[in-house]
Amino acid sequence: MMERAMEQLNVQLSRLTRSLRRARTVELPEDNETAVYTLMPMVMADQHRSVSELLLNSKFDVNYAFGRVKRSLLHIAANCGSVECLVLLLKRGANPNYQDISGCTPLHLAARNGQKKCMGKLLEYNADVNICNNEGLTAIHWLAVNGRTELLHDLVQHVSNVDVEDAMGQTALHVACQNGHKTTVLCLLDSGADINRSNVSGATPLYFACSHGQRDTAQILLSHGAKYLADKNGITPLDLCVQGGYGETCEILIQHHARLFQTLIQMTQNEDVKENMLRQVLEHVSQQNDIHYQRVLTSLAEVATTNGHKLLSLSSSYEAQMKSLLRIVRIFCHVFRLGPSSPNNGNDMGYNGNKTPRSQVFKPLELLWHSLDEWLMLISTELERTRKNPSSSSSSSEIASLLLKQRESDHSGTTPKLSLLDHQIVMEAEAYVDGEDVISMTANRLSAVIQAFYMCCSCQMPQGMTSPRFIEFVCKHDEVLKCFVTRDPKIIFNHFHFLLECPELMSRFMHIIKNQPFKDRCEWFYEHLLAGQPDSDMVHRPVNESDILLIHRDSIFRSSCEMVSKSTNEKLKQGIAVRFHGEEGMGQGVVREWFDILSNEIINPDYALFTQSADGTTFQPNSNSSVNPDHLNYFQFAGQILGLALYHRQLVNIYFTRSFYKHILGIPVNYQDVSSIDPEYAKNLQWILDNDISDLGLELTFSVETDVFGAMEEVPLKPGGSSILVTQDNKAEYVQLVTELRMTRAIQPQINAFLQGFHTFIPPSLIQLFDEYELVIQLVTFVTYRNPRFYKYRRSPLSYC
Amino acid sequence: MSETYDFLFKFLVIGSAGTGKSCLLHQFIENKFKQDSNHTIGVEFGSRVVNVGGKTVKLQIWDTAGQERFRSVTRSYYRGAAGALLVYDITSRETYNALTNWLTDARTLASPNIVIILCGNKKDLDAEREVTFLEASRFAQENELIFLETSALTGENVEEGFLKCARTILNKIDSGELDPERMGSGIQYGDASLRQLRQPRDTTTQNKQQCNC
Repeated sequence: MMERAMEQLNVQLSRLTRSLRRARTVELPEDNETAVYTLMPMVMADQHRSVSELLLNSKFDVNYAFGRVKRSLLHIAANCGSVECLVLLLKRGANPNYQDISGCTPLHLAARNGQKKCMGKLLEYNADVNICNNEGLTAIHWLAVNGRTELLHDLVQHVSNVDVEDAMGQTALHVACQNGHKTTVLCLLDSGADINRSNVSGATPLYFACSHGQRDTAQILLSHGAKYLADKNGITPLDLCVQGGYGETCEILIQHHARLFQTLIQMTQNEDVKENMLRQVLEHVSQQNDIHYQRVLTSLAEVATTNGHKLLSLSSSYEAQMKSLLRIVRIFCHVFRLGPSSPNNGNDMGYNGNKTPRSQVFKPLELLWHSLDEWLMLISTELERTRKNPSSSSSSSEIASLLLKQRESDHSGTTPKLSLLDHQIVMEAEAYVDGEDVISMTANRLSAVIQAFYMCCSCQMPQGMTSPRFIEFVCKHDEVLKCFVTRDPKIIFNHFHFLLECPELMSRFMHIIKNQPFKDRCEWFYEHLLAGQPDSDMVHRPVNESDILLIHRDSIFRSSCEMVSKSTNEKLKQGIAVRFHGEEGMGQGVVREWFDILSNEIINPDYALFTQSADGTTFQPNSNSSVNPDHLNYFQFAGQILGLALYHRQLVNIYFTRSFYKHILGIPVNYQDVSSIDPEYAKNLQWILDNDISDLGLELTFSVETDVFGAMEEVPLKPGGSSILVTQDNKAEYVQLVTELRMTRAIQPQINAFLQGFHTFIPPSLIQLFDEYELVIQLVTFVTYRNPRFYKYRRSPLSYC
Repeated sequence: MSETYDFLFKFLVIGSAGTGKSCLLHQFIENKFKQDSNHTIGVEFGSRVVNVGGKTVKLQIWDTAGQERFRSVTRSYYRGAAGALLVYDITSRETYNALTNWLTDARTLASPNIVIILCGNKKDLDAEREVTFLEASRFAQENELIFLETSALTGENVEEGFLKCARTILNKIDSGELDPERMGSGIQYGDASLRQLRQPRDTTTQNKQQCNC
């Protein structure tokens, strides 16, 4: 008895020491649940000795499933790559095919995590490789997803069917292609995977490779003879490549299926295809080599021509064909500008006439331009005919309809036909009738083609230059184009964007444009002003801390000037963020306040930059501003601020004289403008013009006396002016010169500096869309509507809102 | 997505004013006679996919105005046409007499290989006939044209006219007389030939249906 007790004590003691030495229990608890959580950490760390020791004399069920997903310890071992524990568990009878709640076997987990050794051992113990989990995935699917080719090699020989499908009908090859694992794909193909297998939605391995832009995988599939098949919705691999903008994959597809090239080109006509993606693809294809470049462009030109001709068919949908044509031409011009891939052709911009091969790509379009030309000439003929018979449009239509009725009745009675003479009258009358119609029906369509023509002409020119061919074209069809826009001025805003880029052409249409509603011109103005900006919602975009203009309230003018000059024009165009020193506020309100108080400061008499006009409410540059040595820099700054305000639709608190607004717009001043700075003097000028001055003995010469800081100086109005007498004959010239002196010459440097600043944000070509009254409205209105100062600018304000 | 076809042919319909060109096109595309038809302004456009000899062909048809004042505009559409329907009115000798001019235009401005079908339209107005079948077929023979008398009103021979033209072009492609790859041939490949591999049965059944009519 004693011995047995001693023995037990010894056993207990040795257990205690072992336990204490190892800092863990050395005996497995009786109940499985507690036991499994004791063992799990050891299995994870592959502490196989401890595990084996614990299992040695216990009744623990090695297949006990635990936790939320009901896994066995074998799952844990396989998942963590604890190969020794895995073998131990298997030896103790763990079921290698035990499935957890999601249907996964230990082999699935080993495959997913790439546990090579565990996989090997599991196979040794007859793990079934063909078991599907609840999603239908087998071990090879898991290997394929992660591209574990080496493991796949080992496993695939045990697999009865490499084309085993998951719940979506996807095989291992599908998932390998989707993820672009090249060697895995090759291994599966070598193992006899079905290269054209389609899943439940009809998608093939090639389809998946293309939908994810896996170029190399697509290449492998195609060279192994994969068929080009669409899915059940008719979506083809090419469609997918274009959707994703995968140029390289498209290139591979075209290499294997040459005819897809045309399909790709035809996709430019499809409204549903994203333009930027398609452009990206075509860009890539064209950049492969010179032949591709030529081919892409020539084909695009052909498609554009067909589209343009469709647009000119009156029964086609104007909206759809117009958009399609302009989209194709935009892509065409973009690709053309990029130039071919080889650098030696890079310098040849193709403006040396039609001799260079690069400009050959425009050839197919010549058909369209030819049709355009013929159409415009036809309309010119119609116009002339209408002019010769001004009454025809109303009266002849009556005649025609009368005659037509007569003819119909003749026909129905099968009596002899109309005499030849009658017939001719009918024909001619008809011609007049639809002459008007022809113009109204075609004007929009032709204008859209003109827009396309302009785009094609200018993409061959260096930036900012108008193609002589286009100028010639506009001059040739001047009359017809003017007729179009007079009938429907919207055409200007919709299609004649070229006007804004070609001042020489703009002048021809200026009078028509100026007659258009202020609102329309405003829209056009901002549309073009902001055209280059990626985001029109500027003020709200998050700003970079370094781009914030930090302004001191007590020296607002100087600190603003400093901050603005430090920033770049590009950044200021993108958006303005202002913070006042020591204040937290940011955002639109602060920007508005800044413009408001800064504009007040600009006209602060202390700076001597601007002087008040005679009525005390409007301002214009001070001719004596040079007391401030930096005055020209400040004028430039003032111009920048005004430009920025207009650019970002902010309002300022300055009213300039009408003549100064005219300077901003580039409109010449006249003697009436003098009244804003010197009304008495303006009246005198008016009097000279209204009365005969020959016998008055005024003895005026072409010179004036000016007060420069208290000293009187005589300033000639033109060379030798002080000796030229003003007479009845030359008084108009005198008035104009004297006006220019008062209004312009005296402040010319200031105006120039101001405009230099202003034009950095607002190009002169755009600002000329407005007159001086509208400029005031854009810069100052609305908030200050109640301000009495505004009344002098109010022509009919209601028409502007 | 987009329709599939093996080839795309560019066709023209030409001939004097009032011969019924637009009505022929309308009948071919809509299977209906176009009542109260107006003079065509410039050029109109229509398209239809047909099955010819086992191939799907998209016909892109440009229907031109016959009036003299549009002549310069319509001529600018001739280039690169693979086939043309040259239409006259059997009840108007004037339109028949003008054929030579139209023919010269087509042969010089379009591709020299252009396949032209001569259509004597308004066959239904036999009572008012001014041009006999025999006379016109002789003219066709001399000028190597295929000749048909058609009626846009009843639809007689309209389909045949377009299909015959398409078939002749296909034969010329098969014999190598026409090269679709050449620029300005008025022929383009579609991508249907690739898809056919997948559904060969569908296509053949369609063909049979088409051939019956």
